[in-house]
Formats: sequence, structure tokens, C-alpha cells
Amino acid sequence: TARDGDRARQRALCVRQLARSSARFSSGNIAVRAAAAPVLSNLRPFSFVASSQRTRWIEQTRITSSVGVFCRQYSDLPPLTLETIQQRVMYVLKLYDKINPEKLATSSHFMKDLGLDSLDQVEIIMAMEDEFGFEIPDGEAEKLMSPQEIVHYIADKNDVYE
Amino acid sequence: MASSAAARTAAGTAKVVKPIFSRDLEEAKRRVRELYRAWYREVPNTVTTFQLDISARQGRDKVREMFERNKHVTDPRVIDMLVIKGKMELQETINVWKQKTHIMRYFHETEVPRSADFLSRFYVGHDP
Repeated sequence: TARDGDRARQRALCVRQLARSSARFSSGNIAVRAAAAPVLSNLRPFSFVASSQRTRWIEQTRITSSVGVFCRQYSDLPPLTLETIQQRVMYVLKLYDKINPEKLATSSHFMKDLGLDSLDQVEIIMAMEDEFGFEIPDGEAEKLMSPQEIVHYIADKNDVYE
Repeated sequence: MASSAAARTAAGTAKVVKPIFSRDLEEAKRRVRELYRAWYREVPNTVTTFQLDISARQGRDKVREMFERNKHVTDPRVIDMLVIKGKMELQETINVWKQKTHIMRYFHETEVPRSADFLSRFYVGHDP
């Protein structure tokens, strides 16, 4: 019916706006999102029509009450930005025991500034692979000699741009 | 064989020899890095499979030590042969064709270290 179609459209608009604003939030709200996601994903189209009033009311209270938003995650991670990539890369590098965290900067060369070996650089690239979840082939890995280059490479591979 | 190699290096000419796998040093180093990656990823699985009494960190340090032993090699064919031997060891380790004792042999735990200075060897009773 037309009224149900209207409700569906309004609800879709709500979710789309929430999804857009959720992209700006940091990854700290994952728990809220994860808690909220099952509520949305369990709804089926035919039952949605019947329960749309109730769910819209629940949605609106959720919007006003909590900072977290819900968007359908489909078991995907929050979107990457250049800042988050850089933070994660620097965090992983600070955890590495052969690097002095005080000397570490974004543009510090692994071999010249930090005095690391080529095998150390291989270990660092493997840690980045584990962190970001995709394989970095050795032909391109041997050229990544500073954190800034690593950040650019990962952003390049994941289509992150500003 | 050795004399021809000496003559080759003495003359300084770059004689073209048949490669094993890699044509130049760069490619050989790439193979070494790939092998190191495979070993690095394999060490925790090895420690679990063989129920070794070492930690994964000790295992990885030992892998690094074995690689550092051959750091000085510059001939691509020698590097290729070492990589082949390393791959054979890796295959034996992954497929559990080895046993715990073979893995622990890398650590030389039960061997008495050879003495270096004269007096220690004298006390042990060296052959002159």
C-alpha cells in the first residue's frame, strides 16, 4: 500500500542519514553499533510492514538517547581514513621492540634513521599485513622504507583519499 | 674448479654463468625475504604442533640467527642453493616429517661448547 511505501521510504532516509553521520564517528562506537545492528538486521520486509510503527519509535528514541548510531554493518569494519591508518601504523611500530619510540617519526627511514635490518623491515611489513588484513607482495614491500610510505601504500590499496 | 674461480675473480671479468633460479643479487634477496616470511609465519604453528618447550619469540630469534649466519654471501647461486635448502627444511617442518628432536637440534642444547682458549682445551685434553 502507499502508506507502507511511504513509511519504508522515510525509514530508508533515516537510515541513510544515520549511515552518513556514522562515517564521521571514530571506531569507539563499535559496541553500540554492534548492539544496535541485530535489531535492524532481524527485520524482514513483510514483518517490517506490520511492525514499522514500533520500530520507528524505537529508532527515534535511540537517535536521541545515545551518541552511537546504527547503520547496517554487514560485518564490515568502520571506514578507513588517512588519520586512522597513520595512527594504527604508528601504534604497531611503537610496539615493535627494535624501534625506539622517541626516535620514531612519520618520515623516519627504517634503515638510515632507525638502524634496522632488511629482515626487520620484512617483519614490520608482516605486522602491517596482520594489522590491516591484506597481503603485501614482496616486490612492493621492499620499497616501503618509512611509515609515511606505508600509510600511502595502504591508502592506495584501500581507496582511501581526502 | 677453484683455480678457475680464482682466475675469474682475479681477472675481474664478469663471466656469465648459468643461474640456478635468480639472475642477479636483487632477485636472490627477494627469495630470501620470501623464505624468511614463510618461516616467520610458520614458527608459532611449529611450537604448537611439536609441543616444543620454547616460546615463539625464541623460535623466531633462532630463525633470525640462522639467516644472519649467511648474511655475508654475495653469490646469487650460493644464495639460491641456501634458499632451496631452507625451503626443504620448511617443508619438512610444516608437514611434520621431522620430529621434536630434529627441531630442537637447532638449539644445540645438549652439546658442550667448544673451548676457544688454550687453557680450557688443555684441561679438556686436546689433540695437539
